[in-house]
Amino acid sequence: MACAIDIKQLTKVYDGKVKALNGVDLTVEEASIFALLGPNGSGKTTLMRILTTQIQPTTGLAFAFRYDVVKDDDEVRKIIGYVPQEMSVWTDITGYENLLIYAKIYGVSSACRTKVIRDALQNMGLEDVADDLVKRYSGGMIRRLEIACALLVKPKILFLDEPTLGLDPSARKAVWESLRSFKREYGTTVFFNTHYMDEADMYSDEVAIINRGRIVKTGTASELKRSLHSEIISFRLANDGTGSSCAAAAFPGWEVDALTKVRALNLVEDASIHNGILDVTVENGEVAMPLIMEVLMGEGISLEWIRETKPTLDDVFLKYAGMRDRSGYRYGIK
Amino acid sequence: MALNDSLREMFAMIELEMRRLRHDRTEIYTRAVQPVLWLAVYGTVMSHVRDIPTNGIPYIDYITPGVLLQSTIFVSVFYGLTIVWERETGILKRLLVAPASRYATVTGRAIASGVRAVVQALIIFPVAILLGVKFISNPVYILSAFLMLFMVSGGFAALSIFVASLMKTRERFMGIGQALIMPLFFASNALYPIKLMPPFLQSIAVLNPLTYAVDAVRGLLISGEVANIPVDFVSVIIFDAVVFIVASTSFRRIIQ
Repeated sequence: MACAIDIKQLTKVYDGKVKALNGVDLTVEEASIFALLGPNGSGKTTLMRILTTQIQPTTGLAFAFRYDVVKDDDEVRKIIGYVPQEMSVWTDITGYENLLIYAKIYGVSSACRTKVIRDALQNMGLEDVADDLVKRYSGGMIRRLEIACALLVKPKILFLDEPTLGLDPSARKAVWESLRSFKREYGTTVFFNTHYMDEADMYSDEVAIINRGRIVKTGTASELKRSLHSEIISFRLANDGTGSSCAAAAFPGWEVDALTKVRALNLVEDASIHNGILDVTVENGEVAMPLIMEVLMGEGISLEWIRETKPTLDDVFLKYAGMRDRSGYRYGIK
Repeated sequence: MALNDSLREMFAMIELEMRRLRHDRTEIYTRAVQPVLWLAVYGTVMSHVRDIPTNGIPYIDYITPGVLLQSTIFVSVFYGLTIVWERETGILKRLLVAPASRYATVTGRAIASGVRAVVQALIIFPVAILLGVKFISNPVYILSAFLMLFMVSGGFAALSIFVASLMKTRERFMGIGQALIMPLFFASNALYPIKLMPPFLQSIAVLNPLTYAVDAVRGLLISGEVANIPVDFVSVIIFDAVVFIVASTSFRRIIQ
């Protein structure tokens, strides 16, 4: 798989003192959806502005499909689409007219302009309101129109800065569904910044966490969650069953045996028993669960229920980016 | 190819302005009120003062070109506000990330403002006729006068875009705009001949592009004295070239 974005040791220092980026290394695969997570002031918007050729890095290199974002900025602009965090359409003309002006700016030939605009409106579900003035649109409709403008020319990389900020859950879902179907159809690489962990979790193929101008962790959402080694499987041990398990349960000695054997398993990080509930901390619950159950069955213990508690991306974020406030000042501004 | 791209983008920018205007024409009408008052009230009153040497031209006729230009140039001088607004929203970032040259963006928008100015003047024109102003009815002269109006308005719009790229906020921009307007109008030959001014003001008036525009439009529409027309046009062309280049060069700065 080719590399859509390749960033090497990128730094950005504002006014000679505020270090917004402090040596970023990152690669994004072609045709993937990539989420960049980070607290406020962590450098994610700065990174996106460098990648979209709006500002230049202080040192380091960044490439979009082998085009240098500084030296070949003209080429880069031809293959990217960009939706900034702020509203970016003209509100005193219609949605259709916004698309028409963008189509003209991007040089879509007049022969296929109508079709391209119609496709974009359809992709984003805006056909019915195409001829209304944008000032009458809802927040979700405006966002979809902005994305439609960016998708007009089928960019190879689409940059979205906080794409669903301030949208209600159903509008968010609509935006993402349209984006995903577009990506499937055209193989567009989507690079987005977000605060919404659930969004990164549900829609991204890969996630990077940025903090204090550095990438502190990358991987798929499930890899990151697993990396916390904190999946907990709870087993409620049956205490009113029949046969040997019941007899064994009467003696705490079997608990100690079982605990020792469970702890001895390779995949188990830790285990403990409280009030008849065995909590086992593992890295990967799906793989560990059958092995633990085998041990318990072997000990003749039967189970009432099993519950799996997986870490969320919030936990991952807090672990890798949650240190920000400890120093007492916002990062970068002393 | 590059030229094609730039032209295409310039036309897109002009089209944008025209479409905005079509959706909301109120601005054009409300902006026509002030110049009409200048002619109807100020012009009528001042025409009783016989001390202003107008070469025998009725005073209201004398100031019509100045008022016409003033009304259109004021629109241009505040065109930068649109750019400041587009900066506050994400529109400018979007435009600068599009594969378009910033020269085309700036030029296109300045020209769009020039087109807007012509539309504005077309509304004031008939009102002036109703007030009894006598225009020279030579179509070539009239077209040339409108060309001048268009060129100088576009130039001031580019100047305004340049100021916007430095000031970046609405408040600061308004401050500069207001400070510019007064000397622009009064240190020109819009309301009285330059020779009435104290020497210091005269030297400002000579550098004021509005002076040349007023001179040309007055010659073409009212007095018929066209000897200075080439100098007037060349001066405005130089002004346009300088501000277009400066504004384009500093345009990227606005989003930094």
